[in-house]
Amino acid sequence: MMRKIGGLRGSKRRRISKGVTHTRASFNNTIVTAADARGQVVSWFSAGACGFGGARKSTAFAAQTAAENAIRTLIDQGVKRAEVVITGPGPGRDTALRAICGSGVVLGLVRDITPMPHNGCRPPKRRCI
Amino acid sequence: CMAHPRRIKMVAQQIRREVGEMLIKDKVLMQAILPEAALGADLYLSSVTTISDVEISRDLQVAKIYISVFGDERGKEIAIEGLKSREKYVRMQLGKRMKLRLTPEVRFIADDSFERGARVIKLLDRLKEEAERKERGETIPDRSDDEDSDFDDDDEEIIFVE
Repeated sequence: MMRKIGGLRGSKRRRISKGVTHTRASFNNTIVTAADARGQVVSWFSAGACGFGGARKSTAFAAQTAAENAIRTLIDQGVKRAEVVITGPGPGRDTALRAICGSGVVLGLVRDITPMPHNGCRPPKRRCI
Repeated sequence: CMAHPRRIKMVAQQIRREVGEMLIKDKVLMQAILPEAALGADLYLSSVTTISDVEISRDLQVAKIYISVFGDERGKEIAIEGLKSREKYVRMQLGKRMKLRLTPEVRFIADDSFERGARVIKLLDRLKEEAERKERGETIPDRSDDEDSDFDDDDEEIIFVE
C-alpha cells in the first residue's frame, strides 16, 4: 500500500523556514491560505470565517484581518520569509501584501497566478445593468 | 438628470469589476502599469495595483477611480502615470463592455488611504502593547529606530497630548 505523502496531521508544530501565502481575492470574499514551500497547507482564513458577513465580507479591512490571522499561524511555525501568490481581482489583493509587510515576516516574491485562458471556454454572459 | 441611488451604486460596482478585470487581463493596461510586462516578466511582480474605490457622479457622467499601488516609489509613480495616460482607452473599453447610454468619463486618482490606515493601526497596536507592558511592570524598549522604510513618512512627528 502506498504511503501518503505526509500531511500535517498529528503534530502541528513543524519548523518551516519559508512559507507561501495564497490569496484568492474574489469580489465577494477573500480567502488566504498559509502553506509551506512545497504547498502543504498549514491553515486558511477567509473574510467570512473571521466573522464578517455579506457586504462587509467584500471589504479591504476584512481581507486584511484574514491575512493577518493567516500570517500569525505562519509565524507560529517559525517562518521568516514568505512568498505571496495572488489570484483574482478584488479588494484583497493589496491588503494581504500590506498585512505581511507589517507583521515582521520578510516578503519574498509576489506572484499573480490569475488563470488566463489562451481563449478556451466561453465566459459567462455579461451582466446587464 | 439624476439617477436612482441604487443604480448609481450598481454602475459603480460594475465599473469596479470591469476595470479590475482589465488591470489583470488587458495587455495594454498591464504594460502601462508594469513596463516589464512588455518584456514578458509579468509573473513575478514588482508592484501590485488595485482599485480601492470607484465613485461615480449622480448623473453617471464622471467616474473617479481610486487606485492604490503597493511597491516602491518609482513603481508607484510609473503605475499612476501609466494609468492616467490610458484614461481614454479605459473609457473606450468600458463603453464596449457595458451597456450604458453615455459612457462616463474616467479619471484615475492615486489613493493612499490603505497606507495611512495601516500606519494608524500599527501605531494603535504599538500603544496598546506598551500600555500592557506598563501594566505588567516591564520596561518599554526604545522603538524609535523600528520604523518601516517602505512607507512614505511625511507626518512622522506625532504629538502626544497628555
